[in-house]
Amino acid sequence: VQSPIQTEQQLLMALATGDRKATEQIYRQNYKVIDGWLNKNGGHSSDAADLFQEALVVLFGKVQGGDFKLTSSIGTYLFAICKHLWYKKLEKQRRDPVFFQDSHDAEDNETALAYDSDINVHHEREAHFEQLDVALEQVGEPCRSLLKAFYHHDKNMQEIAADFGYTNPENAKNQKYKCLTRLRKLFYSQQAK
Amino acid sequence: MYNQNIWEVAETYMSGALSESEKQDLKIRLETDINFANEFYESIELINSIEGSGKQRRFREMLRDIHQKQSVPAAPRQKAKLIWLRPQSWRTAGVAAGVAILTSTITFWSLKPSIKKNDSQYTTISREVAVIKKVQAQQQVEQNKLKQDLKNNLKPVPPPPPPSDVKYTGTGFALTNDGYFVTANHVVHYDGKNEPDSVYIQNHDGQYFKAYLVAYDAGADIAVMRVEKKNFHFGKGELPYVFATGKSGLGEDIFTLGYPNDELMYSKGYISSKNGYNGDDQQYTLELPAGHGQSGSPVIDNDGNVLGILTAIGSQGDNASNTYAVSSEALIDLLHNQLPNETTLHLPRINKLGHFDRERQIEKMEPYTFSVKVYKK
Repeated sequence: VQSPIQTEQQLLMALATGDRKATEQIYRQNYKVIDGWLNKNGGHSSDAADLFQEALVVLFGKVQGGDFKLTSSIGTYLFAICKHLWYKKLEKQRRDPVFFQDSHDAEDNETALAYDSDINVHHEREAHFEQLDVALEQVGEPCRSLLKAFYHHDKNMQEIAADFGYTNPENAKNQKYKCLTRLRKLFYSQQAK
Repeated sequence: MYNQNIWEVAETYMSGALSESEKQDLKIRLETDINFANEFYESIELINSIEGSGKQRRFREMLRDIHQKQSVPAAPRQKAKLIWLRPQSWRTAGVAAGVAILTSTITFWSLKPSIKKNDSQYTTISREVAVIKKVQAQQQVEQNKLKQDLKNNLKPVPPPPPPSDVKYTGTGFALTNDGYFVTANHVVHYDGKNEPDSVYIQNHDGQYFKAYLVAYDAGADIAVMRVEKKNFHFGKGELPYVFATGKSGLGEDIFTLGYPNDELMYSKGYISSKNGYNGDDQQYTLELPAGHGQSGSPVIDNDGNVLGILTAIGSQGDNASNTYAVSSEALIDLLHNQLPNETTLHLPRINKLGHFDRERQIEKMEPYTFSVKVYKK
């Protein structure tokens, strides 16, 4: 029997590696609160999963960069990110101005800015990934499939050699380098525009 | 190292596996060969990006999987609504369907002595409970769902509905939190003269409460009633709205909440004339979609002031699209002049709706708005 992950710090470090157990624990402990809140604030349970998962991706991105210093507990952090994401979404839809029902709670200006900054970093990262995906779609076969197999699906060179019909992993690896060169050209010429 | 593939160098560098001498070589080359340096930094950034993108992709997939496996149930708040709202309504609907076969499904015409309201162009909008067969299949589904929910022991068994025949339904809304409310008089005195056997309200949770008549004004079409139950409260706090003491202007935006059936219905419009049917100065004429069952609904402006009470719709010719409401002035008149002496009824003073968006205004109104059901054998 494995012992449950203890401290928040340990949870975050496990989350950074994409550890499933840690992620499940965080999910279980926090989802219902978000779902309940959203239902009282103009959303539905169908939005709650998307919203909560987006907040988890924000946190995931943050700890990827080695930043484990949250201003609050994981739960409070995720809740705040969800609120900010949700209000931004409502603003975008230009609905009636949202009344910040709980604006009086612990969130001071500085904290609000910190959350906003994390969300902005997240959006920039998303935009960057999107550009990369565009380049990846243009890179042509077999490069597109090969790069996706290695980087997206986390396959190793042995598997790739077998799947793509290369005589050995070394050949597959050389092919991967050629593909990366093509991708680099595409991606940076795009960025230069 | 000079002959090595740049990607191989980048990957080895990133994994931290370069030897000291290789690091030194790399450093010198980066400092001296600007083309190589550019290419090298781009390569590192690209690998970082595509690795990060892949990790995030896998993380998202894992989240979706976790979500499915944990199969978190929907928010309990919504479920509670489904459980409470329906069970009573289909029981009464069953009774009502029986009644409707005996009576006809004609529109209810007000038979009050006043001439203007005996006019065929003026239809009061209480709802004669009509045939509801078409929803019976749906009711079966809901019934099964309820049974399932009860089996799961999520909620206690709801209180039983009153054992009688629903004759008419309308809408009412609270005057005070301790049980006084107002509705249209024609809902209660449905055929102009006879007292009903009993009047119940059914609140947004589906619960029934018996009510008695306190005062009414047939001409203005207002009835003030009170819930019988001791220590009754409509909601947790004071009413969120206040009553306008004067008449509002032409063109003012208004909205209403009512129970044309067992679901709360919202509609909005504007004041299209400061006077009502045939120039009645106790009334407003509204451009507002309304139908049977909505008699007695509050007419509220954007700031949460109650301007009036819905009473009738035009039914023919030029009046067909009009909706009529009695002004809150007439209500306040009635409260000042016709209440029994021992009555203490203080209208709310503080408007708590002003700052909210419409969805939240409705949410706050919900406990204080309810269906009024009139029973007569």
